[in-house]
Amino acid sequence: MLIAQREIKRARLRFGLLAGAIGLLIFLVFFQQTLLSSLLNSFTGALKNQSATVVVYSAEARQSLEGSIVAPATVATVAAIDGVGQAGPLGESTLTCVAAGEQVDVAVIGAQPGKPGQPTKLVEGRLASADGEAVASSEDRAKGFEIGDVVTTAAGDASVTIVGLTKASQFSVQPTLFVNFATYTAMKRASNPDALAVLPSAVAVIPADGVSAATVVQSINASVSGVEAMTLSDAVANAPGVASVQSSFAIVLALAIAVVALVTGFFFLILTVQKTQTLTLLRAVGAPAGYLVRGLLQQVALVLVIALVIAIGLLVAATSGSNTGLALVIDPRALVVSTLIIVVLSMMGVAVSIWRVLRIEPVNAVTRPGLGGGQ
Amino acid sequence: MRIAFIELRRRPGRFAPAAIALVLLTLLLLVLGGLLDGLYNGSTGALRAQPGELLVYSSEAKLSLVRSRIGPKTIAEVQQVPGVNEVGGIGVGLLGAAVPGQAADASVALFGYELPPKGVPAPPSTLGEVYADRSLQAVGVAVGQSLLVGPQHYPVAVIGWVSDTNFLLQGGLWGNVDTWRAVVASARPDAVLAPGTFQALTVVTETGANPSEVAAAIDSATSATTRTVTRSEAVNSLPGIKEQRATFNSIIYTTFFVAALVVALFFALLTLERIGMYAVFKAMGASSRQIFIQVMSQAIVITTIAFVVGAVVAVLASLFIPAQVPISLTLSRGVQVAVGLVVMSFVGSTISLRRVIRVDPASAIS
Repeated sequence: MLIAQREIKRARLRFGLLAGAIGLLIFLVFFQQTLLSSLLNSFTGALKNQSATVVVYSAEARQSLEGSIVAPATVATVAAIDGVGQAGPLGESTLTCVAAGEQVDVAVIGAQPGKPGQPTKLVEGRLASADGEAVASSEDRAKGFEIGDVVTTAAGDASVTIVGLTKASQFSVQPTLFVNFATYTAMKRASNPDALAVLPSAVAVIPADGVSAATVVQSINASVSGVEAMTLSDAVANAPGVASVQSSFAIVLALAIAVVALVTGFFFLILTVQKTQTLTLLRAVGAPAGYLVRGLLQQVALVLVIALVIAIGLLVAATSGSNTGLALVIDPRALVVSTLIIVVLSMMGVAVSIWRVLRIEPVNAVTRPGLGGGQ
Repeated sequence: MRIAFIELRRRPGRFAPAAIALVLLTLLLLVLGGLLDGLYNGSTGALRAQPGELLVYSSEAKLSLVRSRIGPKTIAEVQQVPGVNEVGGIGVGLLGAAVPGQAADASVALFGYELPPKGVPAPPSTLGEVYADRSLQAVGVAVGQSLLVGPQHYPVAVIGWVSDTNFLLQGGLWGNVDTWRAVVASARPDAVLAPGTFQALTVVTETGANPSEVAAAIDSATSATTRTVTRSEAVNSLPGIKEQRATFNSIIYTTFFVAALVVALFFALLTLERIGMYAVFKAMGASSRQIFIQVMSQAIVITTIAFVVGAVVAVLASLFIPAQVPISLTLSRGVQVAVGLVVMSFVGSTISLRRVIRVDPASAIS
């Protein structure tokens, strides 16, 4: 074990370069993972963290809240179905608003007070009940969405006052306001006075006590034409962009993790090949193969630990100084999973090196030409 | 130099570890670049194809096409501005469309236009006829079909193909202004605009006119009720475009840096292994420069071979990537990755320079 440590001490540049390269690669994996989870949360947080457990879209909406529109009569039809506890209209629209004197894109979500569609992650203040009140996404409090702030539509001057803040509830990576349905209608009309009507985007549903969301989804889809009911988890998973973002990142992450394992594996293989004569000599003077393998694994573990420290340091710096326009939040669970995958694959990567060490024949030490032996 | 190539030919296995790592890095760079290009092209095609150098939005729209409204009075004011040659209205509806014979609806961006975008014919004269972006073929759209758009299933007939005209990752459909108004009234009553009102204007400036000056003159003539920008500004203002580019580019640059580190690491080890051989070369009269050129040539050759293999794998892999992943492999991106990798391999190989210089020819006989 001592030899492995001494080797690292005496070849700091070599091992430092390796730890640096692997650290950067792991940072790439971590950063992309953080980006992915933050992006998905900011895409669909508002949908995920509202009180309805079933969402009913129009059939041609392609599971998109923004692309859906339902007739007011559909809300009443859904409410009358067996197993539905509560149902109410849910509106969603992106409007240009003025907050803290600046024009900003704002996702406005409207639901009737006391009905499904209310934000569930309130961290400060209270829910919006009266006309002209709103709950805002807490990530945007510094942008003019603090409690007491007034946000106005850029066209038509319809105003809301922030009365509460809710966390992890952005929609489409934008500041998000939860208002009652009348306020939603007023803001939409202010933004486009030519509008013929302001219709709900979807029907928000909470099943009756003892009835599962899946059962309600089946009942609605079987009895109401022109709609597509989904459980909340399905609605979040199928929201536009979620699948393509997940698939794209999965490809990139898999490649990056494979590169980490390969670089680690090849580096230690080269080192082992270079040290074969030395290792043979060590075996000849009595060092057991297990001792050499443990030394190799200790070096791999040390390099990975240093690389992980570098990666986490870079990740913390990158997330705090990032200018991606997205609130980057580190997801420790995802990082632990990635770390485990990287460690396991890297250990598999050095399997060839271990095999070479185990194959070393001590007798070769005395058959070397330099010692007078033959080949 | 010759020795470097002979070694590469006779001992290819020695260079395999670095080459395989570089193949994977090439693949990673091409996939990242392809995703960035795919997302960019799929989101911006309709704006990049606009015939005018300038786009005019209402001032409160924050350069969002779907939230902008330009009325007839403003259009008349824009037409009078010196330097303005032609003005055309544009409108879009982002909707779902049922495709005959397909279970899933297609996501479409149905445009109404007055001035034809690049590659798009003049607006169809018949209500309900559209040109479709060729990318919609992937979801089963064919010329001659009737697509049923929106919840009321408004029928539009596809009469021809156009290319690179998608908007916000939705397939472009291009019809006359009446078709757009009719579809929006049927599908999105909250997005209907009054007769004569458009979402935005495309402005062709007169030959020799400075587009930036004309843009300022337009906003001044409309008493700042409009915001006029160049086509490229309009493209960069689409949601997420700048952030997307910044994020992907930072990942791409870090990957280039990792490639340099891999080359540096590998050739530092290789140089260490060959110290004795280099001492013999030096004792025979070879200079440090000649030996370093050998190391560098090997690094560049390995990187080039790795790039070619990585590019072939990327092209083959792209055939199996699911349709929902918007990947677009382009020649320009390939050239950029190849040049970047060769430069990085050169930079990485310079790490071995110090050791090569320090090789003592006398050690060859000790």
